[in-house]
Amino acid sequence: MTKVTLTVNGEARSASVPPEMTLLRLLREEFNLTGSKLGCDVGDCGACTVLVDGKAVNSCLMLAGQADGRDVVTIEGLATMERLHPIQKAFEEKGSLQCGFCGPGVIMSAKALLDENPDPSEEEIRDALAGNLCRCTGYTKMIEAIQAAARVEDARPTAKSA
Amino acid sequence: MKAFDFVAARDARHAVALLAERTPTAKVKVLAGGTDLLADLKFAPTAHAPDVVIDISRATELKHISMTDEGLRIGALVTHTEIMASPIIRELFPALVDAAHTIGAVQTRNLGTLGGNLVTAVPSVDSGPTLVALDARVTLLGSGGQRQMPLAEFFVGPRKTALKADELLTEILIPKESVGKPTHFLKFGLRKGQALALVNVAASTWVDWDKQTFVAPRVALGAVAPKVIHATSAETFLEGRAITPDAMAEAGRLAVGDAKPISDFRASADYRRDLIAVLTRRALEAAFELARRRKS
Repeated sequence: MTKVTLTVNGEARSASVPPEMTLLRLLREEFNLTGSKLGCDVGDCGACTVLVDGKAVNSCLMLAGQADGRDVVTIEGLATMERLHPIQKAFEEKGSLQCGFCGPGVIMSAKALLDENPDPSEEEIRDALAGNLCRCTGYTKMIEAIQAAARVEDARPTAKSA
Repeated sequence: MKAFDFVAARDARHAVALLAERTPTAKVKVLAGGTDLLADLKFAPTAHAPDVVIDISRATELKHISMTDEGLRIGALVTHTEIMASPIIRELFPALVDAAHTIGAVQTRNLGTLGGNLVTAVPSVDSGPTLVALDARVTLLGSGGQRQMPLAEFFVGPRKTALKADELLTEILIPKESVGKPTHFLKFGLRKGQALALVNVAASTWVDWDKQTFVAPRVALGAVAPKVIHATSAETFLEGRAITPDAMAEAGRLAVGDAKPISDFRASADYRRDLIAVLTRRALEAAFELARRRKS
């Protein structure tokens, strides 16, 4: 077994897991954070996208042991009880999701983009979403939502970005 | 995924010691970024699955990008995202930035490493052609010490490299003779995002401005042979030749003869041959254009 201690959505968490367990399964099965989805399981679809030390990664392609000591943010880390994150709000307002399966991954990719680049061009948004596949809504409304969120001041990174 | 022992190496030397210790009796895999390895592990037949995975991702001494007297040194664990963000690479080797940008998507580029991309050694390896066109060398560290070889020789065949069981790829060196050499990379895939190359090409050349001739021209082709290759007929033809559109077009035609493309569900060999000629010519034109911009 591998002992893993990491920060998830600002909280210190630890678990003892089999070495072959991925970060995605650690989040879903050990921590009950089922927002990140298991889609293709080989890094093509992006439904499992989370932030590790601020960077968007496919959590299905990372072993839990590799995340030891790192800072992980999942879709559950964005909204509070009071309100949605501005990116989530924009997705809701623009009707950017239909079945929603790809949504958590797309929104985490968008968050990573806006944290680094608060005013991305459409081309930059498309590039940031190239690793997130959506099979129902398409991408136009997502891009519109990300552009709208970029105009909202509090979508931008803060001292403690989560 | 089949169960395995997971060992985190402290640094490259520790990883090599672990390789020497475990490879005689166990199937061992090295984990860097994991984007290729984890996908492989999930589908590997149990007979091929490793017994031990050595994680080198915390070997911070393999994460450098530094200019030295010998040339530009890039640690094997530098990610594709870090290559794209490196000021020195952006300035001197924009073709490496372009090549890194065509690999996977943001998520895979954030995890995937240059060393890992080269060690996986698929024929379509997107990091390969530009580095081969720059005569890059790789450093391999083993329990008996380290050795260096041209990247073009490090690639042996599809998913086969010159790495011995107890060796680790630690560094990529772009030799000083190639520092700042005008280079251009082109990839043709069936989509813009996350596509494997049907053909990828890199061309590099110095220019003798007095004679207006090619000096040390290189053309490297990917995805059209069992490994990344030099288009040697094209290179020999161009050496010392006057820089003209006809010469570049002829180099493209000659490069076709250097390749052995296959037909598969992505494209026919004939289509790939057409692409080689066109992309080689365009890559040479763009490398020369970069040379001209840098001169003025």
